[in-house]
Formats: sequence, structure tokens, C-alpha cells
Amino acid sequence: MASLLQPDRVAYLVRGEKRIRAPLSQLYFCRYCSELRSLECVSHEVDSHYCPSCLENMPSAEAKLKKNRCANCFDCPCCMHTLSTRATNIPAPLPDDPTKTAMKKAYYLACGFCRWTSRDVGMADKSVASGGWQEPENPHTQRINKLIEYYQQLAHREKQERDRKKLARRRQCMPLAFSEKYGLGTRLQKQRSGAPISSLAGLSLKEGEDQKEISIEPAQALDEVEPLPEDCYTRPISLPEALLTSLVQVDLHLFVSLHRTSSLKPEFNPTSIKFKIQLVAVSYIPEVRIMSIPNLRYMKESQVLLTLTNPVENITHVTLAACEDEDPDGMNSTAKVIVPTKELVLAGKDAAAEYDELAEPQDFQDDPDVVAFRKSNKIGFFIKVIPQKEEDADVTVSFKVRHDFRNLAAPIRPSEETGDAAAEAIWLVQNVELRLGPLAP
Amino acid sequence: MYGNCNMYLNVTPHFQAIKVVQYNINTEELYVILKEFIHILYFRHLLVNPRDRRVVIIESILCPSHFRETLTKVFFKQFEVPSVLFAPSHLMAIMTLGINSALVMDCGHTETLVLPVYECTPILPAWEALPLGGKAIHKELDGLLVEQCTVDTDTTTGQSVPAVIGTIPEETVEDIKVRTCFVSDLQRGLKIQEAKFNLDGTAERPAPPPDVDYPLDGEKILHVKGSIRDSVMEILFEQDNEEKSVASLILDALVKCPIDTRKVLSENLVVIGGTAMLPGFLHRLLAEIRLLVEKPRYSDVLASKSFRIHAPPAKPNCTAWLGGAIFGALQDILGSRSVSRDYYNQTGRIPDWCCLSSPPPESLYEAGKTPPPLMKRAFSTEK
Repeated sequence: MASLLQPDRVAYLVRGEKRIRAPLSQLYFCRYCSELRSLECVSHEVDSHYCPSCLENMPSAEAKLKKNRCANCFDCPCCMHTLSTRATNIPAPLPDDPTKTAMKKAYYLACGFCRWTSRDVGMADKSVASGGWQEPENPHTQRINKLIEYYQQLAHREKQERDRKKLARRRQCMPLAFSEKYGLGTRLQKQRSGAPISSLAGLSLKEGEDQKEISIEPAQALDEVEPLPEDCYTRPISLPEALLTSLVQVDLHLFVSLHRTSSLKPEFNPTSIKFKIQLVAVSYIPEVRIMSIPNLRYMKESQVLLTLTNPVENITHVTLAACEDEDPDGMNSTAKVIVPTKELVLAGKDAAAEYDELAEPQDFQDDPDVVAFRKSNKIGFFIKVIPQKEEDADVTVSFKVRHDFRNLAAPIRPSEETGDAAAEAIWLVQNVELRLGPLAP
Repeated sequence: MYGNCNMYLNVTPHFQAIKVVQYNINTEELYVILKEFIHILYFRHLLVNPRDRRVVIIESILCPSHFRETLTKVFFKQFEVPSVLFAPSHLMAIMTLGINSALVMDCGHTETLVLPVYECTPILPAWEALPLGGKAIHKELDGLLVEQCTVDTDTTTGQSVPAVIGTIPEETVEDIKVRTCFVSDLQRGLKIQEAKFNLDGTAERPAPPPDVDYPLDGEKILHVKGSIRDSVMEILFEQDNEEKSVASLILDALVKCPIDTRKVLSENLVVIGGTAMLPGFLHRLLAEIRLLVEKPRYSDVLASKSFRIHAPPAKPNCTAWLGGAIFGALQDILGSRSVSRDYYNQTGRIPDWCCLSSPPPESLYEAGKTPPPLMKRAFSTEK
């Protein structure tokens, strides 16, 4: 029966750019527009970088320099778990006296999950605990840097020509015949955005304007390629050899703050980062959960027990309403639902209630047909469900929940009437969809 | 679809794999999948604000238009990047070499595509393609494994593959391909092909390499037969009824090129793409080309018979990406050659080489003004 408590059984509708249904635990509540919001409605902002394994905070500039990698933490190449540094004592000859050996500490990396160690691939133990493990250099880095410099020079030249042409355009008064004599009209010579990278060739370094010319050796094509070694056809291969032999440094992760409007300055101290949408939906919107479902039969009315929990400290009044036939929000429902018409009253959440033995019992006078039980801020109530489809794998019902909401966190507008401390209650309507499971066979 | 991405000046790519199953899924689903993919790229791997960085996308020129448009929409509408540049992969590959002309062959997953580039301009009419790539190899390998190989479990031996695990997952097939298979050299390959087709009943296959025990999960071991290891790659070089193989693509493309370009192109071959990383592939390719060029249909047309191949400073599956990264580092011109967000918002589409209806963007540079017709300038008295 725990499957009834699965969060995705009950989905709330979010009216954003796209209408999405998501469980309440995954939604947020915006205090400015008093509406449910999901991750789709927010824009993500990169705030600051930290390492997920050593939790070291890194300023953004440093992160960019280190290519978003932490210097001290590594991942296992087999299972991607974080590696831990282990120390052993190995006998090593003393530097002064080669004949005597003494115990020296050596450090190697090991994975706690798959038992891989850096010794497996032949990496030598290091003598320092951290900072000894270097990333191997890419052998082509030098050549690539040279290529980049060369192309940057060509690009600079192209930009200069473009700027020159822009200035020259002002003085265009050449008659048509003149420009025809000189080839294509000036209009056709301009580069179209999105055009292929063709004219970089036109800017070869033949025009010796610049003093400093970086020339690049074009790559030499080879006549022959190395063939496969002879023993490839006869040597049996053992598969563990083919595993990776390099260390993988840990990627930095990101504190991402979610917000809807313009960005603010990034925080320098990670402990002071606050999410800009601070209201998690579960703390403000009453939550509907399924408690028990009887056997559902086609066209037979059954009673389903639901619970409604009040997350705020005030008393909340809730009214339920079924979706109309033509309601687009109720399109997915495959069963008719009859909800209690009376208003349900939920007591406020009282954190100390369970410790308070002398609490007065709440007197709410519940209709036993509607309300099954009441427990502090939660009530159980019945709805009647009539499945409409005969072969239904998942009976779905939807209805509206109308509740009052006091926006205590809203910015207090300076009002004319002083002394008006209580926040106004507004009525919000949430559209809830429940998946009740298959029909009984 | 496997994506390599990085910011400029970092010359090591991050790999991010995503399964984009077919191209003909509808646009909304594609939009959602691409959006999540790009989101992971930005916020898990690159860790930058998308609004700060220009984007260079390396694409195949045969990429379906609606995929391109959906991707552009994701970048501009969802992530609000300042500009996007679609760079053809064949063109970008030569930027890693410092040369201006090359005959570039991209051996990828779905297909092998050859496009000559002369003086930095792709010779579009000379393109050649075949659907022989990683996907075809996987299909062939899967068929052979199911047909010929046996699986040992902890309790039984010699079971047939479908009986134990049903169908082999694609990742496993790819792993087996990468770890155990290779491309035989020309002589051996021809003998294997003869034995397979066995036209005159006497051809004998050369001795196969040893079998390999490949561990599947759960204590199962798949015995990969040695004869599969060297023969599965022959499908790339077997010539079907139209006598096309990956080697003939290069020669066919050369034939379509203008005569004066052919010598330069044949001496500057560049091979990129993941399938080109198979051991023995390049050697066999060169040998096949040299063999085929002696055939009458080529030797009458092609005068130069010298072929030389480049070795780019990156693994073949990253070469096009590296070229794009180098281009992306050219801050001076990247902006003027990209499609800016303003242009996209105004016109609602990106220019495509196969679409003639893109208006020339000059009119947008002079904001609001339409360019004067040429005739007017003839009578202008401005100095």
C-alpha cells in the first residue's frame, strides 16, 4: 500500500508558458504572482562554483583557469566514484645511506566502491598526500596553439578590411558602369552572416602589410599509414587491459539560483547564497494524498479516501469542485468524480502539538459522511469515483481545490491605514489530478 | 547523438552522450529532448551563463533542416545565447591542419560522407555518401553474434545468445566492436571476401584470430568467435552491385571535381569520424583506393594516382570539433559571421545552404533603412 504514497500519484497543474503537471514536492510558489511555478518557469543562473567532494569554494575566475576541475579530487575511471588517498609505509633506501632502508610514506589513490587503485595501471606512488598527481599534457597542444595564433592573425586582418570597407562605403558615388568594370558590385562582396568560411583564404599572408607575420607550416600529408602489427591476428587479447589508464579529475558543480526576473550580482560567499524563489510549494499549498482505494469497477461508484494536509499555521478553508465537462484542465480524467460540496476546515499546523498532552480537542463538527478522520492539521475525506472506461489501465480523476492563502511573506506595501497588520487572504484554485491505478479485474 | 562541447581556449572536449532515437520524432518531443541535453551541457559540464557565450555548432551538411531549426530555437529562445554559427564539419576539419584544400571523408555512425574542400570552399556538387557507418557495423555484428556465438552462464555452457539474454543491447555491441574487432589489411581482406561469397567454391578463408571471452553482467560470458573479429568490418569495403564502398566514394568525388583541383585534393586526404578510429582502417582505406584507381572506370579519368593522407592533431572523432573550437577562438570575426539573436528574432529562421529564401542580411545592418537601388547612385552628386 505504500505505492499509494508515491509522489507522482497526485499531480498539480502549473499554469506557466506550458501547462505542466507535477507533484507538489517538485514545485515552487512565487510570492509575487501567488501561483505555482515549476522548474520550467524559472531561468537558471550560474552563481558560484564548488567541488562536490571536498566542498571547496572556488571563485569563478579561478574556476575558469582550472577548466572547472578541482585540483585535488579525482574520480575512479571505472565507476566514477570519488577516489580517496591512501597511505602505506614502504621500505625505501635512505638518501644518505643507500644500504640502509627506512620506512617512508607513499600515497596512492584507491576507490572505495570498485576497489580500483592507481597501482593497477602502473602509476607510481607519490610522496605527497595532495598535489602530486598531474594531468598528462596533450601532445598536440603546441601545434594547436600555433594554429590558433595563425588564424587569429587572419581574423584580425579580415576585421581590419571589413572596417575599412565600412568607412569606404560612405564615399560611394561611383557610377554603375565604373563598378561593373571592376567586377562584382560592392553589395555582393559583403559577407553574409552565416555564409561558409570561404574568404579566410582570400586573406592569405601575401600582402605584406604587417611586420610580424606568423606563418604556419601546413600539415604534411603522409604517403603511408602504419599497418596493423602482425601479431594482431594471432595474439589473444584479455579484456581488462583495455581499461582507461588516466585519472579523471572531478568536475566542479554549481550553485544555481533560480529566479524569474533580472539577475543580481553573484554572491561571493557560498554560505550566503539564497534561492531567489524561496517558497517551496509544499510549505504553502495544502497537499492532497491518496490514502486508500477500494476495488474500482466499471460504472460502479466507489469511495476513495484522500487526505488533505495544511502546511501553514492558520486555519485554512478548502472547497472542492469537480471539473466541468468542457474544462480543458480535466481532459485527462477517465472517471467521473463527485466531491464533497461542503467546505472543509483544516486546523493550523502546530509544531508543538505532539508534545502537548493537555491540548484541547478541536471541535469542528465534521460530517461523518464526508470527513473520515481528523488529526491535527490533516483530515481524511471521501470522494466518489465512477470509472467511465471499461478497459482502463489507470483511472485518472481531476478536480479543483479552492483554498485561502495568506501571503505573510509578501512585501508589505505601505498602506494609508496604519495598524493594519494582518495580511489579506486571497483565494487560490489549484487543479489536481490523481492516478488511482487500474480497474479491479 | 554524441555532443562534444567546450568553451574556446580549452582544447579538451567534454563528452556528453544522449540518445536521440530517430530524426522523425515530432518537433515538440525533439525540442524537449534537445532542451534537456543543452541544459545538462551548460549547467553540469560547462558551468557558464549561456547569455555570455557565442555558440559554434559543428554540423553535417546533410543534417535535416527541422533538426537544425529546432536546435536553433532551443538556443535562442530557451537559453538566449548571443549568437549561433553552424559550421560544416568537413570545412572545420581542415582548420586543424593549416591547409586550404582537402578531400574530407567523415566516417560516422549513420553514414560516410565525402566532401571536397578547395581553397576553403566546399565543392558541394561533388558530395558522395553511403549509409555505411557505425550503425551498419553494429547491425552486422549483432546478427553475427546472435547467429554464431554462444554464451556461458554460471550453470550452463554453450547456450545460444537469444536464449540467455534475448537481444544484445547496442552499448554492448559497440563495446565488443571497439575492443575486439579490427580491419584486416588488403590481401587478407580480399581473401575473406572471396571465401564469404565463395563464387567458385575453392576459396579458403585465412586463419581467424583467437576467440575472445567477453564478460556480460551477471557471470555470463559471451564467446566471440575469432572469425567475426576480422570479417565484420569487410562490409565497409565489399562492393555491392553498384560497386560502391567507402574507398570508391573518394574516387567518385574526385571524378566530380574540376580537373585542376584533383591533384591537390588527392594528395590531401583527411579522414574524420568515429568509425575511422578502428585499428587498421586507414591503412586499408589507402590500399583500397590505390587498388581501385587502377580499374578502368577510374584510370581513364583520373590522371594523378598519388594519394596522401593527413594526420590531424586530434583523434578522428574530435577533429571537426577541434576545428570549430579553433574557429570559435577567433573573437574578432566570430560575431560578424554568426547569426545573431536579433536577426533570428526578426526573421524567425536561420540561413541554410539549401534554402534560397533567406533575405540578404545587409538591409538589417543599416537599421530600418532599405539599401538604395544601384541606379540611384549613378546619378548621385555626393562626394
